[in-house]
Amino acid sequence: MKKIISLIKACMTSDMNVFKISQKKNGKKNSSKLPIIISLFIMFTIWSNSNILFEKMAPLHLQLLVMALFVFGVSLFTIIEGVYKTSSLLFNCKDDQLLLSLPIKRSTVLFIRIFKFYVFELIFNTIWILPIMIAYIRWAEVLNWTYYLTSVLMLFLLPIIPIVISCIIGTITSSLSSRFKYKNAAQIIISMAFCVGVLYISMNMDNLYNYVIAHATSINDLITKIYYPAGVYVDLVTKFDILKLAIFIAVNIIIFGLGILILSKVYFKINSRLKKVTTTKKVKIDNLVIKSQPSVISLIKKELNTFFKTPVFIVNAGFSLVLFILISIAVCIKFNDILPILTDPNGIDFSKTVIMNNLSLLILILISFTAFTTSITNSVISLEGRNINILKSLPIKTKTILMSKIYSCLVITTPVLLIGDIILFIRFKTNIIEVFLLLILSILIPLVSHFIGLITNLKYPKLDWENTAEVVKQSTSSFIAVMLGMFLLIISIIIIVGLIGKINSLLILIAAIIVYLIVDILLYTYISIKGVKKFNELSI
Amino acid sequence: MIEIKNVTKKYGNKLAVDNVSFTVNDGDIFAFIGHNGAGKTTLIKSIVGIHDFDEGDILIDGISIKDNPVECKKLMAYVPDNPETYEHMKAIDYINFICDMYDIDTETREKNIKKYAKLFEMEDKLGDTIDSYSHGMKQKIVLISALAHNPKILIMDEPFVGLDPKAVFDIKEVLNEMVKEGKTVFYSTHILDVAEKLCSRVAIIKGGKLVKSGSMKEIKGDKSLEKVFMELEK
Repeated sequence: MKKIISLIKACMTSDMNVFKISQKKNGKKNSSKLPIIISLFIMFTIWSNSNILFEKMAPLHLQLLVMALFVFGVSLFTIIEGVYKTSSLLFNCKDDQLLLSLPIKRSTVLFIRIFKFYVFELIFNTIWILPIMIAYIRWAEVLNWTYYLTSVLMLFLLPIIPIVISCIIGTITSSLSSRFKYKNAAQIIISMAFCVGVLYISMNMDNLYNYVIAHATSINDLITKIYYPAGVYVDLVTKFDILKLAIFIAVNIIIFGLGILILSKVYFKINSRLKKVTTTKKVKIDNLVIKSQPSVISLIKKELNTFFKTPVFIVNAGFSLVLFILISIAVCIKFNDILPILTDPNGIDFSKTVIMNNLSLLILILISFTAFTTSITNSVISLEGRNINILKSLPIKTKTILMSKIYSCLVITTPVLLIGDIILFIRFKTNIIEVFLLLILSILIPLVSHFIGLITNLKYPKLDWENTAEVVKQSTSSFIAVMLGMFLLIISIIIIVGLIGKINSLLILIAAIIVYLIVDILLYTYISIKGVKKFNELSI
Repeated sequence: MIEIKNVTKKYGNKLAVDNVSFTVNDGDIFAFIGHNGAGKTTLIKSIVGIHDFDEGDILIDGISIKDNPVECKKLMAYVPDNPETYEHMKAIDYINFICDMYDIDTETREKNIKKYAKLFEMEDKLGDTIDSYSHGMKQKIVLISALAHNPKILIMDEPFVGLDPKAVFDIKEVLNEMVKEGKTVFYSTHILDVAEKLCSRVAIIKGGKLVKSGSMKEIKGDKSLEKVFMELEK
């Protein structure tokens, strides 16, 4: 046990630097306030919104349904995210050699990796679920001390089943991809297919829901049938039963233990298979391409190489892009089915004529969604790791290095956005001026997202990492950049929806170009001055 | 020429390099020695522009690394203690990448890459990705990429670690060749007998402070470099 605690401490130290207060050169304390402030802001937003929901549900006595649905949603999200994180969190870690050479059981190594995953999901789950638990106190019909006990225990127990499920699915996808010659490509395709698949199935579960509703005896029974942990939580809150709680704790422990036991049987085989380097035919030096090219092009190619060789990076960034293309195609084929939904979006009544006259703004919303949810740059500095020293020793300006990272992201996002744009332009018969304006916005909006990601990563770099998922999915930088992106997306949607029908769409597009251009210039200037300084201060 | 003038580097309150000054002249093979944690790597990283330093200045051929880092870096090549490369890249792509950063034309790089790949017996392996290489092979790729752009000043941190005896011999030959052309070589090492035979000048650092600097003859006198070093360490 002592060994395990020491190992966990050693493995978690660098990850916990989010909460570390370090001493700066000038003697000032450098506390990481921003992630904490953002977390509190998210929690406050969830708390206030859940109060509104509870208020609506209270007259129907359905407060617990809100809680259960929230637990189910967060758990589902944990599973989806966990699947593509698993490939990097469990496999091909930098500390493999160190840990595997220590006199500890291999299943202990696996336990430590899954435990690390658990801790991060625990933090994530707490941010999302704790506010709703607090909000419930005000709206509960019956409340006693058992509610607090159950809720605190649930916070610790709820992430267990989702992470075991995602570890098993992630291991299966890693096992499948390890059999291919191009392992990374296989990993990307399988993970992406899984995410899109889950999304598709969850949108087409009417039959299952109808079946469950028809066969459920009560709301509690209904929730239990959909997702067991959510059901147990609702049951325990309604009527506390120590035996039921004990069974639930036991179930979680057994699932966690069984998960580790099953995975440890195949884990090391898959891990070694993933490490196997495919031997290539010997190529004579005369047959190799040796030619010069401009340094910026070379830097962009290096960035693209990193992007396409890092599965978790490409799945994380590529998901929104793939979704944009799928949505564009879906809108193209099923627009007549979507139109009735758009004409009544939760109380904001738009007539069909207003929608049809403002289709370019619908495209603008889709572009904004894709741009602000595709945050590639939030980990481009961290992913350099120790290689940051290579860049810093090269005779190129820091600004060129930083801008090459932005250009490479544009190389990734722009073609996808253009394809989606063109599909929508053809379907909506967009006029040529709006086409031109939207194409400009397809560059300007992602640019804002890329600049914000880069600034965030320069402010919160994590150069000392064990696997890429720690940087791409679990770093302070990615957390802040994703939250800022979501915030900007919500703000832009509110503004666009608020202006629909009131101002000519052409004017809105022109105004958007002006605003985004100004923001881009400001962010570019910030990177040219402060960003360069931050990069030069980086050291490992 | 490298001029290190009163350089001080702190990590928080800890002095890693304390008011160090010495000069490495053109045509020198300069050994920089000291025990682990003495401040060698910190000073080397400051010279090549990876680390900033708190006080003093470092001039590369008369140009300050603080004021004009890009011009200084154009004159230098740096070989780190651990072969840091972009492991997903093919070796040839990595070398091309480094050459692109130094604006090396196709003809020059082709000539140099072929020359050094042959010397280090890597001719048939440049088409492989670096992650398939052993430590020594990675070190050879870093050396080829450093030499491919004909640097005026070569700075190396523990260059012989992980290399096979033939490669060590070949590097020594390359360094002698560079010096004959009037170029400068500055490297840190723990292999004192190699330094003694190879280097014309030496500096010894202890606890961040320079304790001795000068020609090899001056420093060691009739003793071996190892003995001098051990006496200074006491």
